[in-house]
Amino acid sequence: MTTMTIAPTQALPRWRGTGLVNQISILTGRSLRALVNDPKLLILSLLQPLIMLLLFSQVFGSMAGGANFPAGVTYINYLMPAILVTSGVGAALQSGIGLVTDMKNGVLGRLRSLPVSNVSVLVARSLSDLVRTAVQLIILLVAATVLFDFSPAGGLLGVLPAFLLALSVSWALSWVFLAVGAWVRNAESMQSVGFLAMFPLMFASSAFVPIDGLPVWLRVVATINPLTYAVDASRNLALDMPVGTGVVGALAASIGLLVVGVWAAVRGFRRPLAT
Amino acid sequence: MTDIMIEATDVTRTFGAVTALDGVSIEVPHGTVLGLLGHNGAGKTTLVNILTTVLPPTSGTAKVAGFDVAHQGDEVRGRIGLTGQFASVDEQLSGVDNLVLIARLLGAGRREARVRADELLDLFDLTDAARRAAKTYSGGMRRRLDLAASLVGRPDVIFLDEPTTGLDPASRIGLWEVVEGLVGDGTTVLLTTQYLDEADRLADRITVMSAGKIVATGTAAELKSQVGMRAVHVTLTTPQDAPAAVVTLEKHGLAPVLDEAKGELRTPVGASADLALVVRALDEARVEVAELALTEPSLDDVYLNLAKNKAA
Repeated sequence: MTTMTIAPTQALPRWRGTGLVNQISILTGRSLRALVNDPKLLILSLLQPLIMLLLFSQVFGSMAGGANFPAGVTYINYLMPAILVTSGVGAALQSGIGLVTDMKNGVLGRLRSLPVSNVSVLVARSLSDLVRTAVQLIILLVAATVLFDFSPAGGLLGVLPAFLLALSVSWALSWVFLAVGAWVRNAESMQSVGFLAMFPLMFASSAFVPIDGLPVWLRVVATINPLTYAVDASRNLALDMPVGTGVVGALAASIGLLVVGVWAAVRGFRRPLAT
Repeated sequence: MTDIMIEATDVTRTFGAVTALDGVSIEVPHGTVLGLLGHNGAGKTTLVNILTTVLPPTSGTAKVAGFDVAHQGDEVRGRIGLTGQFASVDEQLSGVDNLVLIARLLGAGRREARVRADELLDLFDLTDAARRAAKTYSGGMRRRLDLAASLVGRPDVIFLDEPTTGLDPASRIGLWEVVEGLVGDGTTVLLTTQYLDEADRLADRITVMSAGKIVATGTAAELKSQVGMRAVHVTLTTPQDAPAAVVTLEKHGLAPVLDEAKGELRTPVGASADLALVVRALDEARVEVAELALTEPSLDDVYLNLAKNKAA
């Protein structure tokens, strides 16, 4: 190593930090760049919904046309809007896990030693995750259209709002999981808690089968399951069926989750990282 | 610029019922190196975390570069660099991207950030690996990138938390040279280590910590004179010769200590002439030596000695 000329010198510019907006855009760029450098996470998170699409469209495909099932709708057209929502939920969980991973591997420790606001770190992560989720959902939509003949009655004008709805639900939930991550700070327990919470939420809902066909107790669970409302709204948009207050309800719930999530995440994240 | 760059006054930190730091006070003048010496759990990292604003103190005050760590966090963070177990680089990003990221967060423009990153990569011999993801780096390269990352903002004060733990000897010496260069240019350094030789080589003053408290402070020479000296460890071919060997060595004015369990004879030596004396004495007594080693006082010796002094 050569002679050092890197110590403080009056002649050289001194950097002391940058504004919030800059911090957020730089940090968002960093997460997106990491995603491009190592697309493993993106590919892995596509795998589960793709397998679900394949399996469910084959296993439950014959259900279309049965009692309780909307007339004239193929199963893939029924299923896909729900997959958008459930994939969004899965992506939201990844947000929290990503935050905890950054805590463990020292990246957030480095940021804490720089003049960077904690809020910027959280906002940047949620924004980059929003982009990741959008890319993921678009790939799923293309795959469903090309491979599984997804062509809902609502057409592009119906699928677009369904996609945006799934994205907003996912974004709101990502803040909830960021909050969980900021308090729990353990990727393993987050993964298992997330898994435990997601499966009942997914299956005890209208995601895969019409709830009228469910046993009574499960129907009660599905009726109070917020995922049912998001799934119904997304599906009705895509299938060009009457939406009613579904979209408004789903958006209102998302805003509620968002407010609580942001508040809890900022409070939890403010606590010292080191112990 | 103040003369005292790091100043902690009666800093205490508790985690629940555990007291990690108990009334610690230190002072580090501008352009000098303080070595914080202690085993795992002595409180070194906790002190570094408090001084770098990562962790608030439970009580007491601390100033870095003249700014209060509890109330002027951003001012402090704009003037320090931290390398250690706690702060690391992003493994997914390349070396150059990591450094550019930090420079940009500190407020550098795109081009300035790039220039600074290239400059540091060059200085740390990382130019060839600049575009590779940090996760592909070897331990030594990784540590150099960590150190480069903490120097992006040309900090007045750098904190090195066990910078050479786990490094091979060559990388270790390379890192020492970098630190010496920084100090030569006027940077103030706080270094934590478990190794007496590292503190000896780099630090102007050494503070020894144990169980959250400072147990000794001084120059390396002062501490060593407290600890005693280097020692010759002799293993005899025939353990039965040991008593005779002890007698001979004592006759030559040395003070051997016999460890019967290990079959080892430990003789403190002051001047280098004493080393030859040990060999000559044993040879004269016709005691056959299986193994002979010269050891420097270790952190354990410092601890043992401090404990002994306290008991006395």
